[in-house]
Amino acid sequence: MEFSYEVKDSYAEVKADGRLNMVSAPKLREFVTDVIAGGSNRIVVNLEDTAFMDSSGLGALIGCLKAARQAGGDLRIAAVQPQVKMVLQLTSMDKVLTSYGSAEEAFSND
Amino acid sequence: MTDVLASRSFRGPAADEAIESVHNDLDSLWLDVPFVGDMDQMTFTTAVIESASNIVQHAEPVGQDPVELGVDIEVQPALLQARVSAYNAQPPFGPMIPGSPDEESESGRGLALIEALVTTVTFQRQDATNTWVLTRTSQHG
Repeated sequence: MEFSYEVKDSYAEVKADGRLNMVSAPKLREFVTDVIAGGSNRIVVNLEDTAFMDSSGLGALIGCLKAARQAGGDLRIAAVQPQVKMVLQLTSMDKVLTSYGSAEEAFSND
Repeated sequence: MTDVLASRSFRGPAADEAIESVHNDLDSLWLDVPFVGDMDQMTFTTAVIESASNIVQHAEPVGQDPVELGVDIEVQPALLQARVSAYNAQPPFGPMIPGSPDEESESGRGLALIEALVTTVTFQRQDATNTWVLTRTSQHG
């Protein structure tokens, strides 16, 4: 899995390409922690190219969400693909990790 | 006699690389059986990876030799089956009851997720080997 980020006007967009599994989950957490430490506390994780997520990946997203909130911001997810959506729904975490159609929409009403 | 339409087998050290190998095996397996629906592929892949990850993360060896992961997947008419094994492993710690973690928990959802994804989950232990057998009744066939 590859990570990248881009600081936009009102948020930082993190892209995660590949499989978000037990191997990559700790790396996502580390990556987002670094982005937050760099001064961005409003994070959008763009999951457009995340074809797969397991419970480890979900745990990492929850960890990142908590880190963003502890820094006074928030974390939202965007462009969720069918398998990721299924995992979010089956674990009822779709109510906690708010999903948006695109990264641009995630903080557009704030 | 069971009619096996396609299969994949993996055996190797229970380490990070094994998860990627098993996932690649699953991706290639589905190419052999395109009549298996997207939903069945997606749910079964997720359940197998969850189970294999559980072994890599938690299995403890018996004695000096490390734990090995084995994954044997079969596509049968109207049935998907995977045997996910931890060889040379101690019995699983804890009651193996799916948890219901609160929404801030970062772990503890794996077993409940597996149960939601497949039709049956059974556990066997024999000769220092723990095996979870996952089946999903498939829409095809």
